[in-house]
Amino acid sequence: MLKINDVYAKAGDKEILKGLSLEVKPGEVHAIMGPNGAGKSTLGNLLAGMPHVEATQGSVDFLGKDLLDLEPEERAAEGVFLAFQYPVEIPGVNNMYFLRTALNAQRKYRGEEPMDSAQFLRMVKQKIKDMNMRDDLLKRPVNVGFSGGEKKRNEVFQMGVLEPKLAILDETDSGLDIDALKIVSDGVNQLRSSDRSFIIITHYQRLLDHIEPDYVHVLADGKIVKSGTKKLALELEEQGYGWLNQ
Amino acid sequence: MAGLINNWQEQAKQLINKTESDWLKSVREQALSKLSGLQEPNRKLELWRYADANRLSQSIAAAAEPRPENPLSSELTEQALVIRISENGFELSTDCPDWLKIKNIQQISENQWQEMIFSQETVVNLANVALFNAGVNLEVQSSAAEQELVIVYDFKDQDKWQYVSNRIELPEHAKVKITEQYKAGRLNLINVYHISDRAELIRLQDFRLTQSEQVVSFNQFEIASQASVTNMHVHMGGSIQHHLHRVNFNGNEAKYKSGSINKSFDNNNISDLVEVNHLYKNNESDVTHRSIAKDRSQIFNNAKALVAPGADQSEIEQDLKNILLSEDAKIFSKPELEVYADEVVAAHGSTIGALDEQSLFYLQSRGISIEQAREIMIESFEQEALVC
Ligand SMILES: Nc1ncnc2c1ncn2[C@@H]1O[C@H](COP(=O)(O)OP(=O)(O)OP(=O)(O)O)[C@@H](O)[C@H]1O
Ligand SMILES: [Mg+2]
Repeated sequence: MLKINDVYAKAGDKEILKGLSLEVKPGEVHAIMGPNGAGKSTLGNLLAGMPHVEATQGSVDFLGKDLLDLEPEERAAEGVFLAFQYPVEIPGVNNMYFLRTALNAQRKYRGEEPMDSAQFLRMVKQKIKDMNMRDDLLKRPVNVGFSGGEKKRNEVFQMGVLEPKLAILDETDSGLDIDALKIVSDGVNQLRSSDRSFIIITHYQRLLDHIEPDYVHVLADGKIVKSGTKKLALELEEQGYGWLNQ
Repeated sequence: MAGLINNWQEQAKQLINKTESDWLKSVREQALSKLSGLQEPNRKLELWRYADANRLSQSIAAAAEPRPENPLSSELTEQALVIRISENGFELSTDCPDWLKIKNIQQISENQWQEMIFSQETVVNLANVALFNAGVNLEVQSSAAEQELVIVYDFKDQDKWQYVSNRIELPEHAKVKITEQYKAGRLNLINVYHISDRAELIRLQDFRLTQSEQVVSFNQFEIASQASVTNMHVHMGGSIQHHLHRVNFNGNEAKYKSGSINKSFDNNNISDLVEVNHLYKNNESDVTHRSIAKDRSQIFNNAKALVAPGADQSEIEQDLKNILLSEDAKIFSKPELEVYADEVVAAHGSTIGALDEQSLFYLQSRGISIEQAREIMIESFEQEALVC
């Protein structure tokens, strides 16, 4: 599904990713851990196409396409979804309207019929129920005045509606209370399927108690320095990242 | 452009010969004599600094392009009374309802005429006093509650300046919504609104011009105690649009709230100037501007509040935000406070920037094209100025 091959990338003027390689197959869940500033968000941003994040070397193949060659909206329509570490507030734009516009833009790109508002509403109501979300958030402007946890939940809800093929969750668990963590993990688990993959960036192994990863990687100084199974996350929790400098 | 003042004078002389009542003659003569001591509008003037006054004397070609769409969702209600002002005077869409008295502006009596203070800064508006030959006097009756009317400016001749003067009076307790809508014509407009105690006015100035059309307007609001005025301006397009709103609080505990959406493209030049005079205690003004300039267009938006000595407990808010959509577009935006009283609550701010890149990316990352993302962001920006 996703093949990142020896990528070097800059964020602004600063070289952040330095020879990163990673392969994600359909249905797999990869967790990425690593110290602050290592380049984890930069990786997610690079995949989603954030401005000022640029690959200088290497390649990224997504379902047979050169991902880095696509516009952000094309990547989304191809099935890439990034749950932001810091979701943006957009005053004056209603959450529902935003989501329907997004969904229909993606459908149009894929040559599918647009969803009318009645269909959309029905679908969204079902998702709200499935994902145990509060529906009042949908009537409000996108992320405006949402608490930290509400913003993260809204990201997961958007993921549920857009049904991406590859979801990248950037610290979606940070700032969540225990119940919210459960809701968010349930949301992810419900979406897990043999043709959908996840990259989960997190600092805490507790999330991985809820979402069982196939692989755990350590990203440090712009590349993946260690890979393992869920056990690696437990070791990291005990040892921290001091060993990286030895 | 040596001709502008001369032109006004010549036309005014002809008009005076044909005029009407003696008092109106003398009003015109006074304006005329004042004009002769003044210069044409130019960039040295505060109110014309960023307006392209040269365009006022250029002849303009008939418009072929479409009129910009109204960004407001609330369209005119069907049953509203429409007053159409044109070369033929005014016409009503239905019989005059009993909550309104309407007559031609030239037919008012001398004591109804409102003296306006014009200076070099407002020389173009002064020309209107010498030259107006259309417009209406509206006397809303106190029985008016939740009534609605629309004034449409619709002149056939594209090139000839039309001078329109309206006088609108709301008695105590009246409650109306008045929309002024531009349709066609080269318009120099004066509106004087009198809002009596506890009356409520909602007014929408909907001026969307094609690329060659021109409008200059001067709007004076006289607001009595406990009255409320909510004023929404939509200014889009035009070779030149120059609007000045002057608000006088003449009593206490009244409120003036205005929201402006200014949008320019191509080579448009829009000035939107709001001046609020807190002459007495305890009044509240709240002025919001949202301006968006594209291509090589220019917008000048200004909010000025003056608080007279002793006008304590005045509350003033000025919130001016601007977005530039191209490198060649220009916006000049100035909130101004001139305070001579001690106890005043005032907040003001102005920003100029581009659309927020992070927000655009957020929308794009969900599948929305960059063009649509920009539109959504612009719409959300405009929403902040919607006051009614
Ligand atoms: N636009 C930018 N310009 C310059 N430096 C940047 C830019 N974006 C990120 N950086 C820097 O790149 C480095 C990696 O940032 P990144 O956000 O990828 O780290 P991270 O691994 O996600 O860290 P955290 O765990 O704290 O979220 C940091 O030092 C950061 O300051
Ligand atoms: Mg990060």
